[in-house]
Amino acid sequence: MTDIPLAQSLTKPLTKVEADEAEAAEYVLGLQDAADRAATQARVSSDGAFAQRVFAWETRLQDLNDGYAPATSPRMLPKLEARLFPRPRRAGLGVLRWLAGAGVAAALVLVTLATLVPPRSDLIAVLATSDARLVLEVRHAGSELAVTRTVGPPAVAGRVHEIWLIAPDAAPVSLGLLAEAPLVVAYPRPPDGWGLAVSIEPEGGSRYGTPTGPVILRAVIGREL
Amino acid sequence: MGVLLRLLSARPEAEEALQELYTRVWLRSGRYDPAKRRGMTWLIAIARNLAIDRLRSRPPRGTDEGLDPGADSAPRAFSRAIAKDEAGRLAGCFGQLAPDRADAVRAAYLSGLSYGELAARHAVPVTTLRIRLRHSLLQLRECMDQ
Repeated sequence: MTDIPLAQSLTKPLTKVEADEAEAAEYVLGLQDAADRAATQARVSSDGAFAQRVFAWETRLQDLNDGYAPATSPRMLPKLEARLFPRPRRAGLGVLRWLAGAGVAAALVLVTLATLVPPRSDLIAVLATSDARLVLEVRHAGSELAVTRTVGPPAVAGRVHEIWLIAPDAAPVSLGLLAEAPLVVAYPRPPDGWGLAVSIEPEGGSRYGTPTGPVILRAVIGREL
Repeated sequence: MGVLLRLLSARPEAEEALQELYTRVWLRSGRYDPAKRRGMTWLIAIARNLAIDRLRSRPPRGTDEGLDPGADSAPRAFSRAIAKDEAGRLAGCFGQLAPDRADAVRAAYLSGLSYGELAARHAVPVTTLRIRLRHSLLQLRECMDQ
């Protein structure tokens, strides 16, 4: 690698703003190792000004996106649609076979969320251990699912309870991590017969998008209420 | 799907990541503001983030493996970006960087290479590479924001 700018950079330490900019750029490019990346990720969630820098870098580098060749996605859309929109499909959606189609899907989600039935709080599942030492209630209101721990302690230090929604014959989808406050997620009402499960995961939740720790609670929506 | 396939190289993992991508897109759709950014930029940013999270949580891969992904299409992408818009600001600003550094930035963006992998590719220590690339990135920003 060329040497001259290195000499310059060594004689001139980065200012705070420059260091922040460099960190934001490193994050967007994905240069960091897992630990640094997690630290920056935490900053993005907690520091609005820093998140704006990240956002600006994503925009600055967007022309590079032309370098990604389009690839046909597998035929998972019908299954995904069933997971995301538990309602009859609208005609014509079958042509959404490309990644670009996800943009349309996102728009459709907005429409779906906007046209849901009027809000009413509806207890759809209770997850409890057999001795009822830990009890969670899952309610649906408007376009949101709320998960509340009504009985029992939180996970031990360094661990966290993660709740998963499981559509029939599909992989679990994380709804989020349970903290002291109820967990509220924008989600249509899952149909009866779908599963819910809570697993114990390392702090920050499962890194793999699927449960990795022991499953401590299970329930099937619409059953045994 | 192209983004995920390119970054993750393995098709089964890319397919799994795609399912996760759709879910994330849908959960975050409320936060998307079309007035502020193009849909594709937003979508690709989410896809890249997801793929890089997966890459970084993988056990370290052998240096041989890190070397080849995308070596072919990165330069093509770059020339296409130039061709698309001769005065394209990003392309112009890349032109002001030392060629090997511009290469490194592109390889990081398109192939998901980390500092460690780039250092191996360019045969320089990680800390040296980091100082140099940080400098180049700031240079790039200054040029883009002019």
